[in-house]
Amino acid sequence: MSVWPLSPAEIEALLLSVRIAVWSTLASLPLAVLAGFVLARYRFWGKEIVNGVLHMPLVLPPVVTGYLLLLLLGRRGPVGAWLEQTFGLVLAFRWTGAVVAAAVVAFPLMVRPIRLSLEAIDQRLEAAAATLGAGRLWIWLTVTLPLSLPGMVVGAILGFTRSLGEFGATITFVSNIPGETQTLSLAVHSALQVPGNEPRALRLTVIIVLVTIVALVASEMLGRYVARRTQGHA
Amino acid sequence: MGESRRQSSPPGRVCVLWALLILGVSFAGPAGAAERLLVFAAASLQGTVDTIARRFEKAGGSGVTISFAASSTLARQIERGAAPDVYLSASPKWTDRLEAGRWLRPGTLANLLGNRLVLVAPARQAAAVPIHKGFPLARLLGDGRLVMGDPSHVPAGQYARAALETLGVWRMVAPRVAGTPTVRHALALVARGEAPYGIVYATDARADPNVAVVGVFPEEYHPTIHYTVAVPSSSTHPQAETFVNFLRSSGARSVFEAQGFVVKGTGR
Repeated sequence: MSVWPLSPAEIEALLLSVRIAVWSTLASLPLAVLAGFVLARYRFWGKEIVNGVLHMPLVLPPVVTGYLLLLLLGRRGPVGAWLEQTFGLVLAFRWTGAVVAAAVVAFPLMVRPIRLSLEAIDQRLEAAAATLGAGRLWIWLTVTLPLSLPGMVVGAILGFTRSLGEFGATITFVSNIPGETQTLSLAVHSALQVPGNEPRALRLTVIIVLVTIVALVASEMLGRYVARRTQGHA
Repeated sequence: MGESRRQSSPPGRVCVLWALLILGVSFAGPAGAAERLLVFAAASLQGTVDTIARRFEKAGGSGVTISFAASSTLARQIERGAAPDVYLSASPKWTDRLEAGRWLRPGTLANLLGNRLVLVAPARQAAAVPIHKGFPLARLLGDGRLVMGDPSHVPAGQYARAALETLGVWRMVAPRVAGTPTVRHALALVARGEAPYGIVYATDARADPNVAVVGVFPEEYHPTIHYTVAVPSSSTHPQAETFVNFLRSSGARSVFEAQGFVVKGTGR
């Protein structure tokens, strides 16, 4: 069995997977940093509840997450109907909905390392910067952010890889439409439903394994690069 | 975090507890699952075959466990070594394939039911759609999706695609089609109002009050819908063929007909 060359449908699924994972990571990273920061630095009533809700997608079966997204963000859902009326934004059956599903599921995996790296920062460094006359934003940008960068990189990588492999929430929320929401994982699922379609499933599996290896090696290299950089600065 | 860690128990005791836990979990499976009759049934039979199975149990038959999924999915599972005692398919295509691969007990494959294909819409905004050659389905959909069983394998989707091809509208609506893992998923999406139209079986439409039938596809536009039944060759359950016969009893017949199925003779 030769995997190369890829068929147009396979290329389409591959590009769609990468596009959805990239957007999902980009969209949730700022929110994850915010959530990680709040959880690491502030004490407030109901903090554990907020923490629990943020981590729910990690524990909930993805199909349940997808169903909740459909109830909330579907065209008839309270938030979905509002988005459509106000911004003309429709998520159901669209690749943008797949981005939302992937982002929600990946979010807790991004928050966790970011929060840990923020908690590990010696706050006396920030205090020292303050005594030298730096404003809060400047301290955040020049001290806190660089020191927590490894956590953010790890969070982004975990989020990206989780998004790339998302299946349950996606198929439940946005269905399995070739060219629109059929990512590689959904394409494998489709291929496996049909008797006699094993070669197609196997080809797609090989593609996914190759993509995963590339992503893991690239993230490992990126992680090391960032670690070297931050150690050099600190 | 800051809470001080309690002194951990000696490793030996932890290991023993762990082993006991694993043992406990492994024996906690459903008791006597092996003697139950396992039925693989097309998703569109949900609500009828389970009712009939309960009657079978009441009439003194063995316990029945049913796995509902797309007929194609079930056929593939059988080819891959799943061992149900009875297989009910919504399309002869998959039972014929299994028969050709010698996965079925010889002489058990037969037709069981007939069904109709309908166009459904959410109940509160339903208006009748006349179905004829070139009917403007794409225009009716607007930017909404037409949901149906995944036409690449789910029988309901394959019948729907064939009907739309004969009607000369498939090419127009194909880009707007959202295929679902079973026909019941398509039904649920229309019922929730997420899709303006869907193509399902008449019996599915009857199972959900939130959808309304807005059009019925003339039977000559698609291959005749045959539900087939067979006993897979891997079955060892003594009551497998008894259950198949029970599906033809007058009690079962009334359940099928109440849902809108057409009960067929045993001929092939």
